[in-house]
Amino acid sequence: MSVIATTDAVLTARDLTRHYSVSRGLFQPAASVQALNGVSFELQAGKTLAVVGESGCGKSTLARALTLIEEPSSGSLQIAGQEVAGASRAERKQLRRDVQMVFQNPYASLNPRQKVGDQIGEPLLINTQLSRLERRDKVQAMMQQVGLRPEHYQRYPHMFSGGQRQRIALARAMMLQPKVLVADEPTSALDVSIQAQVLNLFMDLQEEFNTGYVFISHNLSVVRHVADDVLVMYLGRPVEMGPSEHIYSRPLHPYTQALLSATPTIHPDPNKPKIKLSGELPNPLSPPSGCAFHQRCPYATERCHSELPQLRLLEARQVACHHAETING
Amino acid sequence: MSLLQINNLSVRFGDANAVPVVDGLDLSVDKGEVLAIVGESGSGKSVTMMALMGLIDAPGKVSADQLQFDGTDMLRLKGKQRRHIVGKDLSMVFQDPMTSLNPSFTVGFQIEEVLRQHLGLSGKQARQRALQLLERVEIPAAESRLGAYPHQLSGGMSQRVAIAMAIAAEPKLLIADEPTTALDVTIQAQIMELLLGLQREQDMALVLITHDLAVVAETAQRVCVMYAGQAVEVGQVPQLFEAPTHPYTEALLKAIPEHSLGAQRLATLPGIVPGRYDRPHGCLLAPRCPYAQARCHEQRPALEPHERGAVRCFFPLNLNAEVA
Repeated sequence: MSVIATTDAVLTARDLTRHYSVSRGLFQPAASVQALNGVSFELQAGKTLAVVGESGCGKSTLARALTLIEEPSSGSLQIAGQEVAGASRAERKQLRRDVQMVFQNPYASLNPRQKVGDQIGEPLLINTQLSRLERRDKVQAMMQQVGLRPEHYQRYPHMFSGGQRQRIALARAMMLQPKVLVADEPTSALDVSIQAQVLNLFMDLQEEFNTGYVFISHNLSVVRHVADDVLVMYLGRPVEMGPSEHIYSRPLHPYTQALLSATPTIHPDPNKPKIKLSGELPNPLSPPSGCAFHQRCPYATERCHSELPQLRLLEARQVACHHAETING
Repeated sequence: MSLLQINNLSVRFGDANAVPVVDGLDLSVDKGEVLAIVGESGSGKSVTMMALMGLIDAPGKVSADQLQFDGTDMLRLKGKQRRHIVGKDLSMVFQDPMTSLNPSFTVGFQIEEVLRQHLGLSGKQARQRALQLLERVEIPAAESRLGAYPHQLSGGMSQRVAIAMAIAAEPKLLIADEPTTALDVTIQAQIMELLLGLQREQDMALVLITHDLAVVAETAQRVCVMYAGQAVEVGQVPQLFEAPTHPYTEALLKAIPEHSLGAQRLATLPGIVPGRYDRPHGCLLAPRCPYAQARCHEQRPALEPHERGAVRCFFPLNLNAEVA
């Protein structure tokens, strides 16, 4: 991931921030939850950025901001070089074509009362002037491409298995050949053998359409397989970001290290002790002072209690930790 | 003698012609052992344990040659007798802690209920013991949590409470049905460590139902792999991971992204698990199996014991492989 902006970036985020205001009752002032704080990255066409972290770290808020479902509180977002903030309604409609989304649960993301062919073709109905027959041809070609039988055009979602439904969702998302696909935990509801099929399909389609993927997941072994770059988040803030191979071979942030260590593996090494994190994610309504991770961090010092670490460049990635050098020395 | 002995267990929903959800399952669990049951959705792993606990309602039908737990025939038990065993010597932790706890009662009350029912404790004694249990499952500020309602706890904390309830009467066998699937990975590591610690200290047998092979590799001593209601392979950890003998086990292992490090594509098992209308005549895996031969499509293999375990396949793999 380069720090300098390049021209063929399909998605550029600068200091993306989203705060929610939460009512605490009639006589209390509303509290603010900083669900997303200072996220910057750049995604190139045909590449995959994986966003990892535990529940409540801001992954899904980021997805909602990227897909223009919600406006960021501050910061800038560019899709294919065009600034989102300040875009007119017509421009936004055009931008939305370029960013599509696949959701976690294919049992909830498809309309049970609509034929799957119509669902896959709906993006064309809304965004293009194609005739009904042209749309049907395109839909059937896409169904074939994602491994569905074109003659199942008239079927309803309940007639498909979970893996097939995720294929339908993916076909719908790719119908307009978007520049960016945001996938929010797309395989976590699937069995492992089906997960492998769907992941392969993701990779094939990326190769075919040169789409940039933002792949949100908590499964680090899946992320390792798909990602070019990894963004690790904790309580709304990025803690480490950089090329996948660097982060997996040598994680620098204590939280990344703990995440990787906690991920179960089929070939456990009995000589390598697991890093144990005590406690849970702090309450986002009253985030800890200083580094958000200091209460659970085995290396935390006085400085971590008081001073918020900023992302800085170290060993070919960005890391937000005061003691990254000393820990990994 | 094993703690739990299951022979030829079948569970059907509907009449005698209905496709069995669990089909002729044999399984045994020894005292103090950690056994994992692995399989994909619909493989019958949860239904097996529900049958043991007596949780299968009509139209479900349970039949078995033997379903013995700690010398008791679980099939013949009447409701009241069953309630003396289930929750006491045999208890269960469910997948979703948010739904397995009663939202209307405090955590303390729910734990004390187990103590009242099974150990006859009451009042101060029960309170005291409940507090010890919460501390035992490493809940911080346990005393103040006794009065908390489940919605005031996080997922990981709720699962700890569910575990405290399950171990309250010091069971001989604890069944954990996907205990960490709903939890984050760092919390998953905490909960698995807690379960294994309890298992060692109390010399309790633990049956871990899961779809995650990596969790199995890190925790279990023995594994039973299920496919479409049948046990297809039984073996020891780590031998089963090094040299799987059933093609399905091999395919499952290969499908994990960790297995294909650096590769563009993941190895996949084509197709899906057979449903009730397309159940194959022969081996249930035959339509998806890369090694299938003519015989596999005609006859159904039985679970045959071998040196390192048992396998349900006419042409098992790696039988002569050297494993540590």
